[in-house]
Formats: sequence, C-alpha cells, structure tokens
Amino acid sequence: MKTESINRKLQKKFGDRVKAELRDNCIYLSGALDSWDDVVEAGMTAATKNSRCHVVNDIVFTGAEPEPMHMPSIKDEALEGDSPDVLIIGGGISGSSVARELSRYKLDILLLEKEADLSLGASGRNDGEVHPGVDLSKGSLKHKYIRRANHMYEGLCRDLDVPFKRLGQYACFTHKSWLPFVWLYAMKRRYIDGIEDTCIEMGDAVRKKEPAISPDVAFALSSPSSGTVSPYNLVIAYAENAVHNGARVSLNTAVTGMKLDGGRIVDVYTNRGTLHPRMVINCAGVYADKIAEMAGDRFFTIHPRRGTNSILDKKAGARFSSIASVVGAKSPGKTHTKGGGILHTAHDNLLVGPDAVETWERENTATDRDSIERVFVKQKITMPELTERDIITYFTGVRAPTYEEDFIIETGRRTENIFHVAGIQSPGLTTAPAVAEDVAKYVADKLGAAENESFDPIRHAPPHLAAMSDDERAELIRQNPDYGVIVCRCEEVSRGEILDALNSPICVPTVDGVKKRVRPGMGRCQGGFCSPIVTKMIAEYLGVPLTEVKKSSADSAIVFESRKGGR
Amino acid sequence: MDEYGVIVIGGGPAGLAAAISAKENGAQVLIIEREERAGGMLKQCIHDGFGLQRFGERLAGPEYVERFIDRVRELDIDVLCQTFVTRLEKRDERFYVTVVNSTGLKTLTAKSIVLATGCRERSAKQVFIHGTRPAGVFTAGTAQHFTNRLGVMPTKKCVILGSGDIGLIMARRLTLEGAQVLGVYEINPTPSGLTRNIHQCLTDYDIPLYLSHTVTRVFGKDRLEAVEVCAVDDSFKPMPETAERIECDALIVSVGLIPENELAESIGVAIDSHTKGPVCDGQLMTSVPGVFSCGNALHVNDLVDYVSASGEEAGRNAALYCARERHSVNINIGKEFMYLVPQQLDLNADNSKLSFYFRSAAVLGKSTLRLKVDGEEVWSRKYPFLRPPEMQQLVLDMTKFGIGSESDVRFEIEVAE
Amino acid sequence: MKEFSCIGCPRGCLLHVEEENGEFIVTGNSCPRGKEFAISEMTAPKRTICSVVKTVFEGVPVLPVRVSEDIPKEKIFDVMREINSVLLTERIGRGDAVIENVLGLGVDVISTSDLLKQNIYALTEERR
Repeated sequence: MKTESINRKLQKKFGDRVKAELRDNCIYLSGALDSWDDVVEAGMTAATKNSRCHVVNDIVFTGAEPEPMHMPSIKDEALEGDSPDVLIIGGGISGSSVARELSRYKLDILLLEKEADLSLGASGRNDGEVHPGVDLSKGSLKHKYIRRANHMYEGLCRDLDVPFKRLGQYACFTHKSWLPFVWLYAMKRRYIDGIEDTCIEMGDAVRKKEPAISPDVAFALSSPSSGTVSPYNLVIAYAENAVHNGARVSLNTAVTGMKLDGGRIVDVYTNRGTLHPRMVINCAGVYADKIAEMAGDRFFTIHPRRGTNSILDKKAGARFSSIASVVGAKSPGKTHTKGGGILHTAHDNLLVGPDAVETWERENTATDRDSIERVFVKQKITMPELTERDIITYFTGVRAPTYEEDFIIETGRRTENIFHVAGIQSPGLTTAPAVAEDVAKYVADKLGAAENESFDPIRHAPPHLAAMSDDERAELIRQNPDYGVIVCRCEEVSRGEILDALNSPICVPTVDGVKKRVRPGMGRCQGGFCSPIVTKMIAEYLGVPLTEVKKSSADSAIVFESRKGGR
Repeated sequence: MDEYGVIVIGGGPAGLAAAISAKENGAQVLIIEREERAGGMLKQCIHDGFGLQRFGERLAGPEYVERFIDRVRELDIDVLCQTFVTRLEKRDERFYVTVVNSTGLKTLTAKSIVLATGCRERSAKQVFIHGTRPAGVFTAGTAQHFTNRLGVMPTKKCVILGSGDIGLIMARRLTLEGAQVLGVYEINPTPSGLTRNIHQCLTDYDIPLYLSHTVTRVFGKDRLEAVEVCAVDDSFKPMPETAERIECDALIVSVGLIPENELAESIGVAIDSHTKGPVCDGQLMTSVPGVFSCGNALHVNDLVDYVSASGEEAGRNAALYCARERHSVNINIGKEFMYLVPQQLDLNADNSKLSFYFRSAAVLGKSTLRLKVDGEEVWSRKYPFLRPPEMQQLVLDMTKFGIGSESDVRFEIEVAE
Repeated sequence: MKEFSCIGCPRGCLLHVEEENGEFIVTGNSCPRGKEFAISEMTAPKRTICSVVKTVFEGVPVLPVRVSEDIPKEKIFDVMREINSVLLTERIGRGDAVIENVLGLGVDVISTSDLLKQNIYALTEERR
C-alpha cells in the first residue's frame, strides 16, 4: 500500500523511468535518470522521515561517469592475517570516538582509515559547531543523542585537551511579526522536545552582546548551550587517546572487499592484507553504504551533500564571538541544511557557511566560487560588515546523509558481526561522544569483553604556547628551548610544538598533518613563510631529503630534485 | 630590564638601514629579527639589480643586504635573531617590547620604536582560486625560498599567475634551473611588474605573457595536475567560455604583497586603506607618537633602494625623537593616485626636505603632478607617463608653500588627454 | 626598425633602434646607458645570470652566485650547466670566485653571499 503511494508520486514526477519496490523492509528504487537532482528527488520522495524502513536508491545515474574511490597508493602485507576483536572502518569522528570508548574494554581494536590522516572526510571539513538541538523534534536518533552529547563537551574536551568554547547561538529573524510563532516554536522545543535552553531574545539584547549583528534583526531564537570545537582536533584526540589505551590505527588502509560465511564476515580485504575480525564497525561516512554492501547488509543509501565553508582572518573573529544565522529571509539557491551561519571558531577565526548542494561525487571536495558567494549574500543579512576580503581560506566537505535524514546506529540486519554507524551528518559531530558510548557498550557486551582497568581518559595535546601566560611560557621554554623558536609567525607556532606534533601518538609526518595538529600555515599567510621551514623540519625528523616530504598523501610530494651538484 | 633608545622590529633591508641611521644619530639600538638570520627577503632574492641608485652597481639581493649587515657589525649594534615579538605596549612615554626566543621570554624597553616588519604575499585563496587542494600551489616567495635557499625545485612544469616582479623573476629563475614555465597570466590589461623585468625575464626566455587572463581552478587530488585559465572581461570576471585546461605540476602565484602591520595595529597605529601601511607624517612617525614605520611595512616599494632610504629616515627620526606636540595637516590626493606617502604633515617638524612616494592608480600618459594649497597651485612636475608598477619619488621643501594648520593641502594628477 | 625595453634601470625606457648604413640610431632612451644597451642588443646581446651552487656544508645547501660581468646571451644555458656541476667544498666569501673564467668567457662566477663565512648573521644573545 505504501509502495503504491510512493509509486504514484514517482510516476507523477518521473513517469515510468523509476519504480519502487518493498523488499526486506527496505524501499528499493530502480530505473535510470540523467539528472542527479532527480535521482535525489526520487530518493526523497520515497523516504519517510525517521523511518527504519530505508530507501535503497538503485536508480542508475546516467549523467556522469561514476567516480572511483580515492585509494591509497601503498600496497603491502602489513596487516595480513591480523585478527582484531573489533575492526573499525573509517577514521572520522565516529570511528575514532568509538575506538576510544571501546578502549575502555579489554579488546584488540584496529581502526582503518584509507586516507593519509584521520579526519579528512566530513569530520574535518565542517563548521565545528556543537549543536544545541533547537531544530530537532522527538523521535529521531539525532534528537535522542543531542542533549546528552551537548552536555558532555566541557568534560570531554578537558580530558582530551581539545579547544572548545560554549558561545551561544542566535537564529535571527528580521520580521517582528513572526515573534508569536517563533515563541510557540521555542516553547515546544523547550518543554516538549526537551531542548531545555531554548529561548527568545530581542534584537537589542542580542546586539548588546554582539554589536555586529544587523539592526534589521528583530529577535532571535537563542540557544546558549551551543558551542564550537575544533573538529579535526577532536577526531585526532579521540584516536590518540584510543591508541594510548591500546587500540591500533592503520592509515592509508582501504577496505576493498569482504568474504562472508554463514551470515558472518570472515575476511576483510584491504590494500595491506586480509584481516579476520570478530566484529566490524562501519563508520565509513560517505562510503558507509558501500561497506554495508560488501558486508551483505545493504539496507540504506547515502546521498552525498557538499558544503563549503570560508575561514576569515582572526581580525574578523575578534569582532564576533558567538554563532548566528538568519532564518526566514529569502536565501538564494536551493538549500537543504541547518542554514549555514557565522561562527566564531575554537581557534578564534570566523567561519562562514556552509551551503548544501547534492552531488553524486562522494569525495569531490573541490571548492567553487558560487558556493562562497551564495553563503556570503545570505550571511550578510545577519552581519552586514561581513566581507569576502577577510577570507583566508575555504574548504568543502561532503556530508553523508541517508534519505531518511537520520542516523543509522544499529547492528547488522542480515550480517551478524557488523555494526553500522552510518548516515552521520550534522549534528553528528556533536552527538558522537554519546553515540560512541552506546556503540561501545553494545559491542563490548556482545563480545563479552571485560573492562580495561588501566584505561586512562586523559590525552595531552602539544602545548599551545601562544595562549599561555608569560610565566608558563617562560617555564616551558626553560625546559625545552625549541618552544621559544617561532616558526609560524601568523599563528605563533614554535619549533617545539611542531616537533611535539611529529612525536605524537599517531605520527603523520606531512605538512598537512603537522598543520592540523599544531597549526603552522593555518594563519593569514597560509604557510607562505613557514611551509619551507616545516618541510625542512619534517625531512630532518624523518631523515630523508626534502623531495621525500609530502603535503598529505604518498603522491603529494612538495618539491623535486634540482640539477645542482653535478646531478 | 634591557633599555634602549630605539628598538627596530625587523632585520630586513628597512630595519637594518633604520638601525644604522639610529645608531649614527646617537641612539642605543636593538634590532629584533624573527628569522634565523638578518636580511629579510633579500636572503632569497638572489637575482641582480639591487642598489643601482644607492651604490651604482647591480648587486644580487644578498650582496646588497650584507653590506648593511657589515655596517651593523661595525657599529656594534645589538641584534636578536630568531626572536619574536609577542607584545608591544606603551606606558608613560616608554615602549615595552615582549619577546620570545630560545632563551625564554623577556620584556625590553625603548624610547621609540621602528616597525620594519615587511610584507607578506597574497595567497592563491585570497584571489579565489578554486578546486582541489593538491601539493604544488605556491606563492612566488615560497617557490623562491625552496629554489634559492633550499636548493630544491618546486616544479618541473608550471603556470605563473600574476606578472608582479617576483612572479617575473621566478619565471626566469625556474627556467634557468631547468623547469618549464608555460606562461604568465595577468588579470589586468597591463603588466604588474616593471617593464625591464618583462623584457629580461619573459621575452629573453620566450615565456608567453597573457594579459586579461586569470587562473580560475586547480585540479589534482594529490599533486597538482592541471590548472584552468580564463580570459576576463572588463570587470575582471572570468569568461567561462574561454576556459582552457593546462597540464602542469605547479601553480605559482604572484598576486600582490600586503604590508604586515598586525603588531602596529595592536598598539593602535592607524592604517591607510590604500597602502595597507600606517598613516605617517613626513618624519615617518605613525599615529602613535614614538612609533615609526618604514620599508614595505609602510607601503610596498618597487626598489629596495627606497626601502633602505625610508628605513634611514625612520631610524634617524626615531633616534632624535622626544615627546612633543604634533601639529598635523592631512595631505589629500586625487583619485588618480593609488596612494601617496606620507599622508600627513607635522607642521612642528622640519619639513624642508620631505620625501614623497606615490603610485598612480592606472597607466597614465603624459601627466602633470600638481601640489595645491587652498586651491592654489604651488608646485608641479611633468611626467611622460605614470604606471602603477613604478613607484615615483620626489623630495620637496614643504616649508615654502605657506602651509598653515587650516590649509587644504592636495596633490593632483592631471592627464593631458 | 626594432623596439624593445631597456633593462638598464627600473624606468624601462622603450628603445627604438634604426639601422642606417651600418650605424644604429637609437631613440627613446633617457640616458647614455640606454643607447649603449640598444646597440649591444643589436650587435651582441649580453645578460647577467644569477643562480645558486650546491655546497657540502650543513645548513647551507646552496650558495647564491652570479657572473661577475654580463655574458653573451646565447651562452646563458652553457654557463648554467657549469654552475650546476659545482659542488662547493670551500668556505668562500662574498665576491670570491666559484668558477674562474667560466667557459673562457673572461668572466668569473662569483659568490654573492658571506653565508659560508662562519655565522655572519648570527648576532644573537651570546654577543651581548
């Protein structure tokens, strides 16, 4: 019956080109379409919000060649025959938080990441907002986790030594006449949905705290519990703490297939050997449905959605210290997002964005001029003084939503030893700490694992000297003179901090790896001055020539040999 | 606490010249340099052409700047290298400079400060180049550092965006070192660098220059694989129908320099939105009394000779500085100017031999520069042409024009058809 | 007639050269150096080249060099080959020859920095 109504709608939109079929509690779509927007539209038409009966969108997209997965160039047998208790696929926020929470138990944990560093997918390419849940109604998994996770951030970030700031968020409205409706909305959120800090603040009160907010803003839906965290630093911190507690991380390792036997995964094939895990956790982000398919357990489809953020100079960051967005104003372009906004980052820059664009390319993080222009047009409504001239860099992330637009956090439906943490999109960064606790508990129970008594929740980041008092800083330099040698002038990063990053538990000796961990090159000159020095330091650390130092992946050499010295 | 008469922040050509002249004018001087060695960008500017005005020779960058370093040694001026200023404060007419280096953290004091902090390059992102983030996107200065100081090649085959002097110089350098430079792309309809550099860096080596073109996109997930270039329309908008993909392994951008004045701003120095440097009076003193500015931190110069000259001026005035009332008059400019330095005149100072530096906003033909006081022309000079890449310098006796505190002082450029 | 920019100084005058009865008539120059350059450009163009040579010394991978006088334009890449073949093992100073009389052109390749002469720039704490 349900299928019939879906097919009727599909028929209306796409004629006979698309068909829906209900099978194994999934809605399978088939057919062929040449527009990706239509493929997505079909998926959305078939989807029921918050339903566990997911859309599996098998409509063939004929508009472009499918893009192959970016593969590590390494090929070896480093992991051949490895039999971890738990194999986590994906080194984003989900994978690394689950790894850390699982390391509270006596388990052999191995996390695989196909890229050269952790957090190179959506987890490292988002705005870093710790969401309040003001847009979430009861009934979804997003809602189930949001408040619990939001409250965890102070303690978590203290333990993991990650920059976090609770700043407050204003969803700004320009039409005063909307006030009664928004007030009702706020009350519903507060008293029915349990988003307990939701309230209304009038424009003048908001401007008193944030003078840069437009005089056109009449009032705002305010969420004081909103905050910002450095997303990639959180992922790295989680993974480092997991490693500190015995877990293993293997970078440049891609899962290429699996062998099943009797409803169980027995072999997992990678570019570094075949593994035999007892349990697999699917945290593969935009490839989560592909991993599910390898595991014979495909019951959902990811439809990638791009979002571009701009990072503005810290001088702009000094003029605005919370999070704001505009609601209700005409926004150009088709948007499907939490709206995008202006956000004071954990590192005191301003971030503007993101937008939301459906795409068939799961890994295309290339940026476009249009994305930035669109976002700025919209955000200038909230903050008129915002200017593209302050932009120092920009980046695109690809989110991994399902058609139901909710998380999938459940054990395999057909395959016994897999657990899916999939469809993780905003507010997935926020909810990760709580989700990871539950996933770890479930998996540990299932494997009958005992508690790891020696678990140490504390992780130390390299010291951040520029933020210290003179006395603290002087004392550290006395202990290690390298802390007094500034390499990155824009972010005031010392040689000692860079060496600490190179000596950290998950060493990623690349220019980008060091940049993510201790920030040389993150500032206004974007590494113009310090990148040769950092390159040289990495070469010295590794004991290799400069030509061997990479920006990120194994194929991203920075410089080539010269013809000097009789070569 | 270490006490100085003058602390010079920055040990490049401007700072070295400032320190020398401050010392020669009797001050106790300290130079603070953030890099391992003094010399600034000239350490890596190994090409020749420096010092033609000052020494009458065509020196390489290191040769030029080492002459100043030699003089600093002769004068026994204190220098702190690999030392970074974290804080600059002013209390009771004294400056407190907090620095960090491998020996720790300390605060030094001075009667006056010379800011010779140089400039930085605009990055590829700042000119909105989109696409992926592969290895192989360099600013010209970064490419120069790798090539000239570290002896490695940033590219085998590249495209250069921007025809500023560093871009042109790097086109030649990379070609000499065996790389292939496929072309220099310039968004403006006229070159941004000096004419002689077009000739001796591009023409000599058959490197094509594409005017009214820009790079819009880079491709490649790991190392850069190609760039997209586009012709632009009159409002500098890329025209998509002209897009062309060029296979190469690097994009080198030379798209402008920005004076570094974060430290200046931290102490409240007013910044000119045209120069991106401090607003100064004829003595190169900024809006904060006792703080002087020079070199490329003040405005981006085309010749190092001018950098040194402004350093000397700032250093001397810093040495002679004592707190006094200023009597400032603004110097106004017409819209034909990109900028003019200094922006103010202190009527209480000696203005008998003031150096002015200016650039025109566009390429202008036969022009007359006029100085008007209250609408009356008091001085003029003719120029066969004025081009933005070529900075102009003039020295005027400003005392003879009857300028008073209420005067409207204005420079104008009149273009003859 | 030929037209090109002068490289003698930053002014970059546009020079016009006309050949009349084996003599060059130069216009567009603003100084005698311009005329000189124009004639040499027509008869035997010369250029300076600057580069670096590899050294064996730690912390100084390369030392900047230039030719002591302009060399014939067509010899640029030949001289570059000579420069590239050098591996410097001596701590020479600014102005010292790296290659004497390179390719018999009567021109030396000279160092343009004192980089190798102890720590010429290291005017640090200890000195004070």
